[in-house]
Amino acid sequence: MRSVAAFSIVVIGVSVSLLAQEPDRRGWWPKLGGEFTPTTPEEVANGPVPRMPDGRPDLHGPWVGGGSNGDVEADGGLKPGELPLLPWAKTLRDSRKEDDEPYLYCTPMSVPRVNPYPWNFLQSVTSKGPGTIYIVHENGDAGRIRHIFMDGRKHPDDLLPSWWGHSIGRWEKDTLVIDTSGYNDKFWMDSRGTPHTEQMHTVERWTRINYGTMTNDFTLDDPGAFSRPVQLTFAAKVQPPGSELMEFICTENNQYGIAAGIENKYRDSGFGLEVTPGEQK
Amino acid sequence: MRAKLAVLIAGLGVVAVSAPVLAHHSFAVEYDPKKPVEGTGVIQKVEWTNPHMRIYIDVTEPNGTVTTWNLELGAVNSVLRRGWKPADLKAGSTVSFKGYGGRKILTRAAADALTLPDGRSFTGASGAPDAPAKP
Repeated sequence: MRSVAAFSIVVIGVSVSLLAQEPDRRGWWPKLGGEFTPTTPEEVANGPVPRMPDGRPDLHGPWVGGGSNGDVEADGGLKPGELPLLPWAKTLRDSRKEDDEPYLYCTPMSVPRVNPYPWNFLQSVTSKGPGTIYIVHENGDAGRIRHIFMDGRKHPDDLLPSWWGHSIGRWEKDTLVIDTSGYNDKFWMDSRGTPHTEQMHTVERWTRINYGTMTNDFTLDDPGAFSRPVQLTFAAKVQPPGSELMEFICTENNQYGIAAGIENKYRDSGFGLEVTPGEQK
Repeated sequence: MRAKLAVLIAGLGVVAVSAPVLAHHSFAVEYDPKKPVEGTGVIQKVEWTNPHMRIYIDVTEPNGTVTTWNLELGAVNSVLRRGWKPADLKAGSTVSFKGYGGRKILTRAAADALTLPDGRSFTGASGAPDAPAKP
């Protein structure tokens, strides 16, 4: 009898440990922890592209998505390993831990990063006609505002690298083309840790294909971190009509890391590449 | 056939919308799916804040000591968009919770479900506070 009891305990022990196998870290989620931004139902989303008074597409959303959050390679439509990272950049990406994303400390996501919160295009109109186009992100101080200059200017020669870079735009038929240079190297392109350098240059081609969907054909060029330019494709979904951005101040109550004892490794070092580009670790 | 296809596509649309989206951060980084926790206590404080909403719940242990649980929810914007209102969660009311403990500090937990005394349950999956449970 005693041996039967001992056997049962062993069996129970085994099954408990099997059940306790940790699920895929990306796949496990408590229900109240998940984020929620509604998108427009299909019957509304399939409607026609709205137009501005000048006939251009009205790009007003608000939108959700249109970039990558977890993995720019997979989300952009590439197969595993297709992102042409230089060896040092691949080594750095593989060494980075999701726990240490700069974004977790309320820094901006930059391009082509997205989070689960909405954002919007604002097409300004001045006394001289259509003016600067703005991208506004709900995600407050971690997202902020991008200025897309539409007046034909060039990128300045002496750009100080910044989180969102310098953006100039133009229309190619119904597609808004945004050319951006002057990024800093302080953000990660995804939570996987895909790195880039200050040489990064991006071209976004935004096309609203119906009321509810906007594609982003995205050219990523960074000779400092990639062996060649690469083409990625993303899509944004519109929120239901009447939706508005809300206030989101990330630094208001950010208790990230305390529950798990994660240290803020950037407190002393600041944000930026952990290695000199090209340096093999 | 075309009608069937439309239904199928509509169904896919619903699945895509309700699929979980990545939060401000991955909960698995901080919280341990191997440490399910639950309890009943009195709401001490509700923080309708970003990047995450928090509810502090005082749970009286059998020996009389009080443990304050710090429960993390999604972004307050997500919670409001699900249809919750500040009046739904008030300090002083009793609430039962289920969640997952912090990897280092168990009482800092990720909330998975909350149940109010009137039977309403917040699971976060339905898009709005659930209807009161039938007696």
